[in-house]
Amino acid sequence: MNISNSTSAPNAGEYAGDEVSAIVLDPGYSTTRAGFAGEDVPKSVCPSFYGQIDSDAGPQYLFGENAIHNPLGNLQIKNPWGADGIVEDWETATKVWEFAITSRLTGSKPGNPAKNGLNDGNDTNGDAMDVDLDVDMDGIENLEKPLEDSPLLMTEPGWNSTKAREKYIEIAMEDWGTPAFYLQKTGVLAAFAAGKASGIIIDVGASHTSVTPVLDGMVLRKGVQKSPLAGNFVSNQIRMIYKQAQPEVPLTPHYLVKAKNQVDAGAPAQATYRTFDVPPTDSFRTYEEERVLTEFKESVVEVWPGPGRFSNGPNEEMAKATPGRPYEMPDGWNQVFGVERFRPAEGLFDAAAALQDAENPRPKDEHTISRLIQAAVQQVDADARPLLLQNIVVTGGSTLLYKFNERLNWEINTVYPSTRNKLIAPGTVVERKYAAWIGGSILASLGSFHQLWISRKEYEEHGANIVEKRCR
Amino acid sequence: MLGLPVGGGDGQKPVIQKRAKPAGGPRKIQGVAREVAALYGERPPPVAVYEEKKTYRAKRQSTGPVKPWIRLPFTNHARNDGLVLKHWKRKADLPNGEDVEMEDSENSAPFVYSDASYLKWNIGVDVPTFSDDEYDTYLRSDDWSREETDYLFDMVKDFSYRWAVIWDRYDFQPSQKSHMADETMHDDLNQALAALPFAPPKARSVEDLKARFYDISAKLMKLRIPEVQMDADQYATYEILSKFDPLLERNRKSLAAALMNRNMDEVKEEEFLLAELQRINMAANRLDAEREELRSRLEAPVPNQQVSAGLASFTSSQALTALFQQLFQADRSKKRASGGGAGGGRLSISVNDIMATPTSAGHSQLGTASRKQSMAQPAIQTPIRTLPPQQEYRFNVSTHDRLTSGVTFGSDRLLKMRQAKSNVQTQKIAAALAQLEIADIISIPTSRVGDVFEQLVSKVSKLLDVRKVREKEEGECRVLEAMKERRGSQIKGEGYTEGMATNGTPTNRQEIPDSQETPDVDGDGEDDDDGDGDGDGDADGDGDAEDDADADGDGDGDGDVDVDAEGEEDEDAEGEDESRAQSARQTSEAVSRRATPAGHKRSASVLSQLSNKSNKRMRK
Repeated sequence: MNISNSTSAPNAGEYAGDEVSAIVLDPGYSTTRAGFAGEDVPKSVCPSFYGQIDSDAGPQYLFGENAIHNPLGNLQIKNPWGADGIVEDWETATKVWEFAITSRLTGSKPGNPAKNGLNDGNDTNGDAMDVDLDVDMDGIENLEKPLEDSPLLMTEPGWNSTKAREKYIEIAMEDWGTPAFYLQKTGVLAAFAAGKASGIIIDVGASHTSVTPVLDGMVLRKGVQKSPLAGNFVSNQIRMIYKQAQPEVPLTPHYLVKAKNQVDAGAPAQATYRTFDVPPTDSFRTYEEERVLTEFKESVVEVWPGPGRFSNGPNEEMAKATPGRPYEMPDGWNQVFGVERFRPAEGLFDAAAALQDAENPRPKDEHTISRLIQAAVQQVDADARPLLLQNIVVTGGSTLLYKFNERLNWEINTVYPSTRNKLIAPGTVVERKYAAWIGGSILASLGSFHQLWISRKEYEEHGANIVEKRCR
Repeated sequence: MLGLPVGGGDGQKPVIQKRAKPAGGPRKIQGVAREVAALYGERPPPVAVYEEKKTYRAKRQSTGPVKPWIRLPFTNHARNDGLVLKHWKRKADLPNGEDVEMEDSENSAPFVYSDASYLKWNIGVDVPTFSDDEYDTYLRSDDWSREETDYLFDMVKDFSYRWAVIWDRYDFQPSQKSHMADETMHDDLNQALAALPFAPPKARSVEDLKARFYDISAKLMKLRIPEVQMDADQYATYEILSKFDPLLERNRKSLAAALMNRNMDEVKEEEFLLAELQRINMAANRLDAEREELRSRLEAPVPNQQVSAGLASFTSSQALTALFQQLFQADRSKKRASGGGAGGGRLSISVNDIMATPTSAGHSQLGTASRKQSMAQPAIQTPIRTLPPQQEYRFNVSTHDRLTSGVTFGSDRLLKMRQAKSNVQTQKIAAALAQLEIADIISIPTSRVGDVFEQLVSKVSKLLDVRKVREKEEGECRVLEAMKERRGSQIKGEGYTEGMATNGTPTNRQEIPDSQETPDVDGDGEDDDDGDGDGDGDADGDGDAEDDADADGDGDGDGDVDVDAEGEEDEDAEGEDESRAQSARQTSEAVSRRATPAGHKRSASVLSQLSNKSNKRMRK
């Protein structure tokens, strides 16, 4: 450690860091991450889902972890993201993101001092006050915007449309009033977080799995691949396993359970359940079930690590020999999950092994991860391929599935046996989940990045289309 | 006082005193607890192992009052839109000393300074530019429109020559303007044709893009700097640019892709083969080393003229250096021949040795006065044991002036002695030895036996020579006598020779088919001659030459010469039969007298041929 004094400023030449208190916003399907550039973890991680209660006075929106898990009557849970991995509902998306920024980072801005109630009792010496208020009136319009002080770096998926990108800068400039803005793809930022300028980024998120080839900090657009086989797909697979099990596994979310009693494995639950006068909607229940499934994924589900696929030859027999993992539902029902814990995630790699029913058709073969990688590499110049395969960055919450990396490694080495393939998967959970945000934090805190910001002046001069020219 | 710092003298003194103190007292062992050090007793261990790091961090030094930080607005030099961002700066580090005023000025008019510290990273790339005239005259291409060329150059500039990215983002859409212009014009056929290359945006490969860009770059480079004036670097760049071959590049890439897309079996096979190759190479190296060692043991030292001249020639250091160079070269060439396999141990001379050689070192230092002493050194180094002749005889020790390389058998040497230059001579020697009852194979061919045998053989061959000379003389005498007799009846002799000549030709004719049946005869003729001594083959060859007038000049010539020699020897060998020899002489003389002026060789061959024929006849 060369830093003799932690209060002295680091040399500018050391890492070219020069923080301008920029805010990095990394919206995803499941959570929205926001924080100040230069920090190592996002300060604010909010669910991207929001609650909506329709009443006569119009819809009431609820944001944030505390609000949306509260079982209120007629509460609907919605998500502004569309099925194709691009924001669909811009209005609420803006609100969700704004909540992520303002709830923890900037705080709410002071309103009009005449109306915020603080000055109500000060009428006696009103003359001097009035003068001050008049002077400040010009600035009030601007003060209401949440990002007046901070430049904003936003992330976008690699397949984002031009329209969506223009919408991003419009929101940032018009609604939030940021002085400078920049848009960068998640793939590039995840690579930066891993310390790489080039590589293939495999991002297995909640709604989508994407494979992004990045060369010298630039996305190779032709090679960007995405598929819907990701965390939500695994959740659906688990639901199907529950349904097909004999007897069926009951899936009861936490909010329904008032009290539970201990029961033997496989025995029906003995719990007292909550009743609601006006129950929340089905979407709320689904969302709460999803939380249970997430826990199940974290503690039970395992990926068959290879060699070979799970359904191949003796692998299933070998898996049966391994000890099972117990899991207890919120209502006390519990069981040891044996070989079936390998099944939900197998569909990510082997489309034929995925469970199917009427609602969940068989996934396409080209959507499996190894095929995505193959397709991505195929679209890259032949000279760059070995370089990319040497830097395979793994990120996204669903890659935290047990033994996921072993399997991925095996799959890649099977497809490309002649190159030196190297997986770069950070060990810590935070780095894996928030890689794109961390990369953005690094990028936005660099002194050499100052010149890349799109300033308000430029935006006003060229319009929203400038984002296409500058952020490529 | 007197320009000296006031505190300087006082400050230095106590430091010196402090240092002097611990030197006098007992040495304190660092990093070891006092109690443990006490256990060492009077003799502490010479090396104490302790952790340097395990010390407490020094107390933070107070460096005066707190230095405040200020959130300072600034502009970036690399931007031209005057974007003002704010970052934290130490108040003391501010560029101008206006920090005192900061608090006030922040409220009224924000002080903005320009930050140039990151300007050095704002780097663009150089892309060649061209004017409209240049484009029209030199750079036109049927495949590329001006618009697309400009687009390509913009892309190259934007992405800093990252071709993979350029190709990825390359999405040329011909501007609507040109289309509109075409549409507004009449649907003229020419117009349509002119617009044709613009109509479909072509799918370009990386190689196409590169080819176009490099082509233009090379042309522009040549325009700016004529080829003659380019310096080496520029010319190298020019060469690379102008010699870019998209096809070659494409093939290379397809090969690279194929290499990458190999399946597991192929990769494993390659790995296996590589391992095998390595194994073979190692085995070969080992074998080479072993062989090298063996050779170095068997081989005699390199003959060298200076050695034969004696050690006296190595008295000067220059001569020694020359000798070393010679040995070094020989050693190196040997190494090169064996493939450079360096075996274990040290079998070679290296350049460093010249420094380490004691004699050379001695010579360079010793003067002429001590030359004798240095001369004596090699003699001491290689003592030679001398045996009394009796023992030398008993132990079969032999000394040689010069050793030939390789191994030979004693029996081989004996066999070699039996063989003379010609087969006939060999047979004669064999006959003589048989007469002396010496066995063909001598059972114990020691070197002494060999020597004796050599003497014997040399005597035999001498005797044979003498006999040959004697016979020659006798023959000549006889010829002269016969000539004397024949002087009276010359006409009769001529008629006889005529008849011989007419007889001779038919015999030749008869034997021609033989030679044609076995075309090898010309080549094998010599062997046949040697074996049978009748020279049929060559006679045929001659016949060929004469009759067909074929131009087998070389072959015939060779054959003739051989036959010539053989013929003479035959004559010698079987010259005992006087009458036969006599007739032969007669005919030969007659022929030689009548011979056409074809040259001496021809006549000689004819002579020998005829003599052979006569021999044959006589035998029959």
